[in-house]
Amino acid sequence: MELKNMGDLIINGVGASNGGKFQLVTLNGHGTVNSDIECSDFECNGSGTVKGDVKANTAKISGNASFKGTIDSQQVTVEGTAKIEKNLYAKHLYVSGKASVGGKVKSEEINLHGILAVGEDCEAEIFKGKYRFTIGGLLNADQVDVELYGECKAKEIGGQTITVKQHKGSFIGTLFKPFFKTQLETDFIEGDIIELENTIAKVVRGNQVKIGPNCHIGVVEYTEEFSQDKNAVVGESKKV
Amino acid sequence: MSEELISKKDLLDLAGISYGQLYRWKRKDLIPEEWFIRKSTFTGQETFFPKEKILERIDKIQTMKENLSLDALADMFSPNISDLQMEKDDLIKRNIVSAAVMNFYLENDKSGLTFHFPRILEVYVLEKLLQSGEINLDEGKMVLQVLKDNAPLIKQKSCELVIFRKLGVSSCLLLINTEAVHFESGTKLVVSLSLMTCMEEIKSKLL
Repeated sequence: MELKNMGDLIINGVGASNGGKFQLVTLNGHGTVNSDIECSDFECNGSGTVKGDVKANTAKISGNASFKGTIDSQQVTVEGTAKIEKNLYAKHLYVSGKASVGGKVKSEEINLHGILAVGEDCEAEIFKGKYRFTIGGLLNADQVDVELYGECKAKEIGGQTITVKQHKGSFIGTLFKPFFKTQLETDFIEGDIIELENTIAKVVRGNQVKIGPNCHIGVVEYTEEFSQDKNAVVGESKKV
Repeated sequence: MSEELISKKDLLDLAGISYGQLYRWKRKDLIPEEWFIRKSTFTGQETFFPKEKILERIDKIQTMKENLSLDALADMFSPNISDLQMEKDDLIKRNIVSAAVMNFYLENDKSGLTFHFPRILEVYVLEKLLQSGEINLDEGKMVLQVLKDNAPLIKQKSCELVIFRKLGVSSCLLLINTEAVHFESGTKLVVSLSLMTCMEEIKSKLL
């Protein structure tokens, strides 16, 4: 795709555009794009709305952006609030603000330091989740690395290495602890190497399973190794 | 056409693969979403697969992944039509179509000697059916017409081509995402051909 010779679309203040192909798209202030855009770099600093799909090399959302379509970009950074009604495809996804996706997320590497809400499945090679996430479908990643700061939910989790750790809380954290549940809630966890803390799950299946403190697990099925912390509740564990 | 199902656990045992591999293949779209069948069991929800299809697919993946990257494999299994173009002579040289069938096809289709994927599929289906002797040339024309009329559908969905005869009169139809077909007893089912499988066969011949 040749975007080198395309013009830029810059909206400062209140403005609207009908979309198209651009080199650089910047929405500062209150910008609206009424249909699909294809560009090299997309940036939204104010409150922007795109009523179509976005195809870009890099997309950076620092303000408040809402997308009625799908985002397809190599690099997506969300530092503000992004609401995507359909799917999000990104090679690298970095969220330090809040991102909500109505459809599914497909990525190679997801780095989460904020809040991520996904309606359907979330797929990545590497998923690093800090703080909070809610996934309506399956969280499928080769490496799932979760550090719990708040309440996290996923319908199912599957992958090769799955690690869930409780964040070592600060002093203020312990003061407010009764108000926040720091736990991961899920129906299924399936993987080769599983290490859990503060997790509530109905079924955990894996080769090497290590259940840490504050877990409530219905059934653990393992093939090689199994260990359980004394502060964990496991309904049943069987070697298969 | 109700299929035997296999649970995820049994599948992993039987195929000797790990959860990690299964989920990786799923991510790469090597295993289609429709094959993940959720059913509730006494332990909660379990995932099942159509046994024959999944074992065949896993076997294919395992034998081919030594030579090809997972992404290349994904392209091969995906029903999306590649933007591939080939010349008439190439197709004959690569044993996708015999010269006789190619001539028959070109008599009925005058849109040139360059073949894009939908046309390769058409000619390949004809080749398969005519060479096996299951249909005659007139029926070949009929099949061709069905395939041409429904080309946009074939691109996206998993289609099945069904040819049947009754009292010597033949007809054919295209099924899209169907579970089963039943005929009345006087009807003879000549052939039922999955176009998805045909596409995979073509792709594996091209690679």
